[in-house]
Amino acid sequence: MTEKKLYLLMIVLILMLVFTAFLSEGYHSVLTGFVKIQSHPARLINDYTIIGSEGGALLNCSIVGLIGLFLVYINNVRLSGPTIAAVFTMMGFGLFGKTPLNIIPIIFGVFLLAKLVRKKFSEYIIIALFGTALGPMINYVILESGLKGNMAIFIGVTSGVVAGLLLPPIAIAMLNFHQGYNLYNLGLSCGFFAIFAAAVFSSAGFDLTIKVIWNKNPSTLLVFLVPTISILFLIAGVLLDYKKFFLDFSRILKLSGRLPSDFMEMVSASGALINIGLLGLICSLYVYLVGADFNGPVIGGIFTVMGFGAFGKHVKNSIPVIAGVALSCMVFGKALSAPGAILAALFGTTLAPIAGEFGFLAGISAGFIHSILVDRTAAWHGGMDLYNNGFAGGLTATLIIAVIDWYVGNKDEMIFFRKQKKHVNKE
Amino acid sequence: MQKKEFLMHLIGEMGNFILDENPSRMVISLHQEEDGIHLCIIDNNQRTEEEIEDIKKALNCQRRPEMAGYYGAMAGHDLVGHARLNLIGWQVKHGDVSSTDNGTKIDLWLGSDQFDHGKFNIPSK
Repeated sequence: MTEKKLYLLMIVLILMLVFTAFLSEGYHSVLTGFVKIQSHPARLINDYTIIGSEGGALLNCSIVGLIGLFLVYINNVRLSGPTIAAVFTMMGFGLFGKTPLNIIPIIFGVFLLAKLVRKKFSEYIIIALFGTALGPMINYVILESGLKGNMAIFIGVTSGVVAGLLLPPIAIAMLNFHQGYNLYNLGLSCGFFAIFAAAVFSSAGFDLTIKVIWNKNPSTLLVFLVPTISILFLIAGVLLDYKKFFLDFSRILKLSGRLPSDFMEMVSASGALINIGLLGLICSLYVYLVGADFNGPVIGGIFTVMGFGAFGKHVKNSIPVIAGVALSCMVFGKALSAPGAILAALFGTTLAPIAGEFGFLAGISAGFIHSILVDRTAAWHGGMDLYNNGFAGGLTATLIIAVIDWYVGNKDEMIFFRKQKKHVNKE
Repeated sequence: MQKKEFLMHLIGEMGNFILDENPSRMVISLHQEEDGIHLCIIDNNQRTEEEIEDIKKALNCQRRPEMAGYYGAMAGHDLVGHARLNLIGWQVKHGDVSSTDNGTKIDLWLGSDQFDHGKFNIPSK
């Protein structure tokens, strides 16, 4: 019953975005913008709200989200924490990098692998949905590499299918590096894969220079989009269980958020929806206060945070990481509203489980380190991994967890040696 | 995942869970049965009824193929932080938890979809 209501809520959200797109711009502008987005490079950072139009970007975002939701439905996978996070993330990146055309080859590759190893596609569906972060690689081969015609399309699509075929084993292996403390594990996995892909393209003499297309004058419509959706989720959370929603939300705040923390299963859908709504409002407030632009990438970032509000992020474990990123920007003299800084603050919450498990200071440290690293990582993979923050977050989490793991493993011995020393001194 | 690797992950995560409570005795026994595998873990840590119910709930959670196939691989690998029995619950057919005279006994059943855990040959007491 709850799942049906969640489907209804997601469909209402998607339809709301479609209607907003058409009402604000009219059919011609929206469709022209949408078509333009399909044939445009997609590597980081291509803001579709300026490449196509705001309406075209919203339509693209809705269709990408609808594909994700449809795949979840037809594969009989539960619409819950991880799948809601995946659909929201896909929608978010539908505003800057994902298109219906560049996600399908990757999903098909993962499907093919599942068939090859005689597993159900449902077992790998989360990898397939999040793995669409490599969509820009397909656009790159077709539109930017210099290859022409059918050959470019063939190689581009094949590269997407190959990426899909390789992602499941990579994603599973990467989980063990950071032990579930980086929520965007596919960001790390896709980044790892994309480094090799970028090396191949670079060896072939292709240009991988990163360009930033960033909407500096978003309309009022985009400014109010996320707060409106957040309020919709808050109302849905209250209506779902008006007696227990606050208690359930309080219970979510006590969880670390470490992967895989499905708040909808561990606590309740009602509490998770409240959490999603509040995260949306807090992120919007942060963007507003630092004076950043409510454009495609920023709204995409907030959508991703909101999606993970059902799967690992909550107000208590996310704020320390955002504070860490902000602190790092202030220490190194970067503007908080600059593209890199605002995206690091939003997507840096991939490290929220570190704050949830090890406390506020650990969260601030994670955000601080992440902010420094993420500036460099996009160049490593030529902007082909849309979850660049997930990649940097994975490396940051691996570093922090390796140190904590060593410390925990050696703590007893360290105390033991201290005691032994005291004992020898007494003698 | 290979059967041996899968079993090592399950045993690792269960061991992590039991050792979190610092018991002075832990016995893990593995039995190949006709229609599957039976993993039995016994310790000498007395648990409350509520704790036993929580373990039962985690080990018998709803089937989640999307979680088992991906995140289930973390079982027995990630030893920083608390043990998470739901990683196991997604991957086994059934889990029984009972109090013994001086501790707790956990039975995990891994079999085909048709298997009947009542047919296993380990006595309940």
